[in-house]
Amino acid sequence: MSRFFALLLTSLLSASVIAADKQADLTVYTYDSFVSEWGPGPKLEQAFEARCQCNLEFIAAEDGVSILNRLRIEKSKNKADVILGIDDALIEETRATGLIAPHQQDLSGLKAELKWTDSDFAPFDYGYFAFVYDSSKISQPVSSLDQLVKSDASVLYQDPRTSTPGQGLMMWMKAVYGDQSEQAWQQLASHTVTVTKGWWEAYSMFLQGSADYVLSYSTSPAYHIVAEGKQQYKAALFSEGHVAQIEVAAVTRTSDNPALARDFLHFLTSSEAQTIIPVTNWMLPVTDNVELPQAFDQLIAPKRIGFSNQEVASQRKKWLREWRNAAAR
Amino acid sequence: MLIAGYAALLLSSLITLLAFAGLIGFSDAAVDWALLSDRYFHSVLLFSLKQAALSTLLSLLLAWPLARALYYLPELPARRSFLSLCLLGFVMPTLVLITGLVALLGRNGYLTPLLGDNWNLYGLNGILIAHIYLNLPYAVRVLLQQLQHIPDRSWVLARQLKLSPWQRLRLVEWPVLKPSLLLLSGFIFVLCFNSFAVVLALGGGPGATTLEVAIYQALKYDFNMAEALTLAWTQLLIAGGLFLLLNRAGSSRWLTADSMVRGNTPPTAVWMRQIHRAIYLIAWGCLLLPVLALLPALFQADLLRFDWMALLAPTLTSLSLALAAALAAMVLAYLMLFPIRHSHRQRKARRRLLLEWLSTHALVAPAMVISVGLYIFLLQRIDLDRWGIAFVALLNMAVIIPFAIQQLKPRLLQYDAQYQQLSQSLKLSRLQQLRIEWPFIRAAFTATFALILLLALGDVAIISIFGGDDWQTLPLLIYSYAGSYRITEASIASLLLLLICAALVGLLERVKQDA
Amino acid sequence: MLEIDQLTVKRDQQTLRYQVQVEAGEILAIQGCSGVGKSTLLGVIAGFVTPTGGSLRWQGQDLLTRPPEQRPVSMLFQDNNLFEHISALDNLKLGFDGPPPLRAIEDAASSLGVSDLLHKKPATLSGGQRQRIAIIRTLLRPEPIVLLDEPFAELDQQTRGIASDWVAAIARQSDKTLLLVTHQQEDVTRLADRALVL
Repeated sequence: MSRFFALLLTSLLSASVIAADKQADLTVYTYDSFVSEWGPGPKLEQAFEARCQCNLEFIAAEDGVSILNRLRIEKSKNKADVILGIDDALIEETRATGLIAPHQQDLSGLKAELKWTDSDFAPFDYGYFAFVYDSSKISQPVSSLDQLVKSDASVLYQDPRTSTPGQGLMMWMKAVYGDQSEQAWQQLASHTVTVTKGWWEAYSMFLQGSADYVLSYSTSPAYHIVAEGKQQYKAALFSEGHVAQIEVAAVTRTSDNPALARDFLHFLTSSEAQTIIPVTNWMLPVTDNVELPQAFDQLIAPKRIGFSNQEVASQRKKWLREWRNAAAR
Repeated sequence: MLIAGYAALLLSSLITLLAFAGLIGFSDAAVDWALLSDRYFHSVLLFSLKQAALSTLLSLLLAWPLARALYYLPELPARRSFLSLCLLGFVMPTLVLITGLVALLGRNGYLTPLLGDNWNLYGLNGILIAHIYLNLPYAVRVLLQQLQHIPDRSWVLARQLKLSPWQRLRLVEWPVLKPSLLLLSGFIFVLCFNSFAVVLALGGGPGATTLEVAIYQALKYDFNMAEALTLAWTQLLIAGGLFLLLNRAGSSRWLTADSMVRGNTPPTAVWMRQIHRAIYLIAWGCLLLPVLALLPALFQADLLRFDWMALLAPTLTSLSLALAAALAAMVLAYLMLFPIRHSHRQRKARRRLLLEWLSTHALVAPAMVISVGLYIFLLQRIDLDRWGIAFVALLNMAVIIPFAIQQLKPRLLQYDAQYQQLSQSLKLSRLQQLRIEWPFIRAAFTATFALILLLALGDVAIISIFGGDDWQTLPLLIYSYAGSYRITEASIASLLLLLICAALVGLLERVKQDA
Repeated sequence: MLEIDQLTVKRDQQTLRYQVQVEAGEILAIQGCSGVGKSTLLGVIAGFVTPTGGSLRWQGQDLLTRPPEQRPVSMLFQDNNLFEHISALDNLKLGFDGPPPLRAIEDAASSLGVSDLLHKKPATLSGGQRQRIAIIRTLLRPEPIVLLDEPFAELDQQTRGIASDWVAAIARQSDKTLLLVTHQQEDVTRLADRALVL
């Protein structure tokens, strides 16, 4: 027994030594899965450190919102030079903290469909929300959001109060149905299997066969093809168009090393980084002419619809309340 | 020792106070009174109460016959393993349980075809099933323990007086169960009332929202401190008030002295024995099925190619953290019980209630508020990226202390009732007292330690807020696998976590038996 | 001398009154019907019952202000005299300031016929055996005042005689002031200097 304890102690001590390594030149706040060993974090860190001869450190929060909340709590005492992993729907709230400095990046290299003009936040990947289905079970998938809502196919989606895809669906419904979205929510609720807290709960239930459609990303099938060699999972293309999620990075006003921080932002849209991100974060590159596995060519290419960031920020509470009342059974 | 006890109480209260201070102090959030008249708030409150009441009632109603079967038929096959399985059920990490239940009863579940066309796991059904799965095993253990405290003399008397089975139930069994039933139901109610992960996963929509879920939402997406505080106070008031009430009603009775001899439990009729056996068999099935439902995932995975080493460090971190938290919690709980025992002996009812409430208040305080509040408070003052891990242990400790108190208190009070006068009369020194007390409480002590160790092992809420990426624990790893499409890896890690829990349960049950 | 003067105890609705003087080295038997307050008196002297008035003095010193741990008293309760989870011998070793008098314990155990039982747990012993073990410890402890609450209740006729003779001998030999509650006239004649009927 005592040897067991000794082992535990050693592991604790050694880990705390690792944790206390040398001072970082550039600190980046991001979310957990970005820096997990199979996420983009480790490879990006290696590539950037080779370029800048500096020491990059990621500090991971639970998810995108948690990065924003941490900034709100720490205010000007934050350690971040760069924040990475906020999505476009949270841009206005993040800007409101007053902690973000202009990125001073050249945006001309970005894909035209992004229509990106923001001078504080720079995109590094994006994806479209989409309903994923198993083509070995469904040969005739629905072709519009309206068809899905009016069908009796079982659906899994995420709670807009706790997850990003859930918020995405909320905007999607609003963009398609406008004032009629309350009835649409009610109709959807009648064949919804369940509404989960986060993305993976819904997605794993779907993989276990719990529903016909699950709310996810247009890029999800790429993972199954590349990592698992499974072809049957597909995203349904909807004729009304799809809402996008654009993940962005920004430099903080409080950074001690703003020049290096801007270099990092620049690096994120370099072809090196853009080749790493899609196959580790399973999102689309924001620049053209990136070499990607063939699986990405098979993905759907939806039309983009949605709202401006300002609209989302001002309407979110109202939309949430509408969903809450309509979807409660 | 009294002073150390008060200091321990102060420390645990301080954690809660600082957490609330963190929330209140941040942006000077006031309570949002308007919320109290909001329709949504009412539906949340009502639903929290309804599902908790139903979960409690069903858990107890089902646990009772099972506990009787175990009591009357000590010769049941694999009875000890069953009790270990019960412990495992109570501490089962919720994410593992939910995966198992979905595999079993979800739309494509193994058992779903048997349940008719109208079956739907999601909604109240799923919440109740999960809550019963988590709490019934615990209730069985407590009720059985209680039944085993019926003195042999009572049975001798009952048989001598030729009491009918109904009279025995009413006059012998019921009196030992009644006081613990109240406390037990309060305990289960509070756990279900504060339920979070289960409700989110199996609730099936905004119709199934508990206060804890609403707090999470208010804190996380709206960053609305005022709303979170209002919800938190409501929860604290209801859960805390109820707990206080039941504590007051339920703690008036002593446990009887140990009767080591047990030869006079009345034999039951043959048909009754058959019923007991059937109940026992069904219970085995119900407890095992969700675990077995996880196994097929293993066959899909390529176990040889799986990166087992990736699990080693998180497993060690999990174990170290849980051990640190559990050891500290044991020491603090034992110390806190000194002032509580003292006030019991002095018959100071009010002080006793207050102290007992303080010692277990972390059970009723909204866990989300405690961890987020403390995070807000500390983030502005301490380098949490470096020291966060210490607070993970500290907070885990705070959260499991109530369970330790709950488990240790009856045994220590029983000791006092039996031996306090004798110890005083013999003028025993502090050291002598400890030496004599130890063999008396050793079994309860080890069982308690096992329980809280396992509870700490399953934590994800606290580590996900405080732990940096240098500190990966096993439950956190499961989430992070699952969050990157690696569902099979997540299943394997889940099973490993379950296996570790099972091994610990087995180990500690053995230690307990040797004691 | 043990002086009990105008001592009153409130119990339920009634008030119990005590007025007794016991000489140092005297053996006093206390008798009376059930419920008259015999055990309560012992409880007051040992410090487990708080009186509402009067005084209790030993050799001129007030005992009422002291907690049970600081009174010169060794008491045998009606029950719960032994820790059930440790052996009889370990029980016998408790309650002595320094090292326990092992020789005296062994002698006493053989006089009372419990030598073979010392390594057993009390739970496995009969009522009479447990009572003898407890009596041994109560008498051997170095306290001047000994209180015995129905010490021989569970003993058979013959053992009862042996035990009470042993108690008398030890009490005389070490000059104990001994109060015993009993229902048996035989105990009074065999052991006591004087009987008090409440």
